[in-house]
Amino acid sequence: MNQPFSINWQNRVVTLGLTIGLLCIITSGVYPATFPTVGNASQILLNLSIDAIVAVGMMILLIGGMFDLSVGSVVALSGGLSGYLMYYHDTNFLVAIGAGLLAALLVGYVNGLLIARAGINPMIQTLAMMGIVRGFALMLSGAGIQNFPYEFIYIGQSKLFKLQAPVWWMLAVLLIFAFLVNRTVFFRRYYYIGGNEKAARLSGIDVDRMKIWAFVISAGLAGLAGILLSSRLGAALSTSGRGLELRVITAVILGGASLSGGQGRIWGAFLGALFMAIVNNVLIISRVSGYWQEVILGLILIVAVGVDQWFVRRSERVLSQRVVKTSLNAENTEI
Amino acid sequence: MKLQFLFLLLLVACEPPPRTDNTTATDADTVQLSNTEPSPNEEYVMVTTAINLPLYVNHDQAAFRAWGQKTGVRISILGPSDWDVPAQIQTIEQVIGTRPAGLLINGTDPGIAQAINKAVDAGIPTVVYDSEVPGSRAPCFIGSDWYDMGRLQGERMVKLLNGRGKVACLGILGMANQEAGFQGMLDVFKKHPGIQFVGKYDDKGNFETAARTAADILAAHPDLAGFCGFDSQSGPGAGLAVKEAGRAGKLKITTVDAEPEHLKLVREGVIDYLVGQKRELFTWYGAQFLFDMAHGTNRFSANDRRAGIAPIPQAISTGAVEIDRQNIANFRVRN
Repeated sequence: MNQPFSINWQNRVVTLGLTIGLLCIITSGVYPATFPTVGNASQILLNLSIDAIVAVGMMILLIGGMFDLSVGSVVALSGGLSGYLMYYHDTNFLVAIGAGLLAALLVGYVNGLLIARAGINPMIQTLAMMGIVRGFALMLSGAGIQNFPYEFIYIGQSKLFKLQAPVWWMLAVLLIFAFLVNRTVFFRRYYYIGGNEKAARLSGIDVDRMKIWAFVISAGLAGLAGILLSSRLGAALSTSGRGLELRVITAVILGGASLSGGQGRIWGAFLGALFMAIVNNVLIISRVSGYWQEVILGLILIVAVGVDQWFVRRSERVLSQRVVKTSLNAENTEI
Repeated sequence: MKLQFLFLLLLVACEPPPRTDNTTATDADTVQLSNTEPSPNEEYVMVTTAINLPLYVNHDQAAFRAWGQKTGVRISILGPSDWDVPAQIQTIEQVIGTRPAGLLINGTDPGIAQAINKAVDAGIPTVVYDSEVPGSRAPCFIGSDWYDMGRLQGERMVKLLNGRGKVACLGILGMANQEAGFQGMLDVFKKHPGIQFVGKYDDKGNFETAARTAADILAAHPDLAGFCGFDSQSGPGAGLAVKEAGRAGKLKITTVDAEPEHLKLVREGVIDYLVGQKRELFTWYGAQFLFDMAHGTNRFSANDRRAGIAPIPQAISTGAVEIDRQNIANFRVRN
């Protein structure tokens, strides 16, 4: 029987939420003038917004037992292509955004198609695509493109209730996908696929088609993130999204996804990204040199994967104990 | 009625981005101390990208640290470990909230202009060093003219080849200052039809990539006559490939920077010409300008900031250090 106010420690969303709360309380005590301010909170949300949008797509992929290393390059491509069209060809900003998003979706489709139909390993395919797409982004953005139309800038730089637009875009993406993943049969299928692909195929799910869709969705969200980043910075940079894939995968695993698939929540992706953003903010406020950032990011990844493995082993143990108990009970009943 | 209220609320809460670049100072208070004596609590922050790059560590950061020690103020060096301009922007934005006495920003890309302007608007004395950032309202820029560095390399290469031969160049593609350098070199080559430009190749600022790329270029163009390098690893990488191909001294190499490895290669006769920056001057004098701004060392009005006066030099080109086999004996080379 569930106890009132009991905490489900196995629920990563709960444990990560509590960890974030604790981290905020400690940091607020140590840096009362700089950390617990509206400006700093708004800055943290703004900084995590791009990562969190991409993390939603990555979470869907990881639930289905896949991942995509090309998302960072897609961020650079969509922003770069939109910027290129607006700056060099005077293209209407909506058409330019459409082209950027379309290019991102196309990358996702090609990734999905080759992984699902041709059977290429996701790591090899998306690693190769990462290089190809970064090359295109570099060709388009060159040394960086600036001076975009005001309407384009508006998308990423306007504010609502003191929060910059990308934060609202992030919340919209989170709400939409949290609803879809929790409530629609289509997205629930990814849990079956991630849990046991063979069983999913045998139960009649078109796994290949689902895989293609997952890559298209993930790349589409990375494309949206790229447009927002360009608009927010007022510049399309060929370096945009560099290292994003590692950050996002770390955030998503922290947020409860499993490398073996079948697990994860959309809000977990957000909390993972939030945790990473707060850690980054704390490092900067406490003036920890950038030399340590990679070390700390690596340690967080190890801890995240370690916790993931611990949960997997624990749930396997609990499951086997339950099976033993059930069979013993059954034997006793028969006797 | 409810919908109308909601719409009205959103309309009031919505804050569009500024339409034009504001070139006048705001009313934010300048960080000014009451006297010209440094305080140990006074903190000057350098924000760069690729914080671990040996070129930055050995020159920019070393000089900044030395300045901090001599002046008796606190200094911090922050930024991502990779070449990640958006991450540098995020760092700048987060540092603004902590109100340092001065902000020394590595002008890595035109995309950081908005973040610099945020710091200026927040009333934080700000100096941009290394490469100029178009659109930034920082009161001072101190650094090198990259177009000129490319032009110097181009002219020397034409001279070394007697105006005839195939030339390739290595550098970090898409990086604003290097693209300016490439342009300076290409503009020289345009005037010399005997020079056949093979192309510019990305070595990602990495020694191994530079060596591998240079070897591949040599394999594709056995009659290549010269390499021009634009980042700190281009010269050593090209030098290794040329030595391995047994063409040291025959194939001409010009490159940027004057690190110990570059000087050694000039002495060995592998590299023909170096155009170095006076990087120590960027951060030493940049920091001193910040200090003078923060302390109001020189004043031209009751409130220079409100009067729109920068009490420090606006733009300083630190010039170049040219090294070749004629003057290499004057430089100490580590064995």
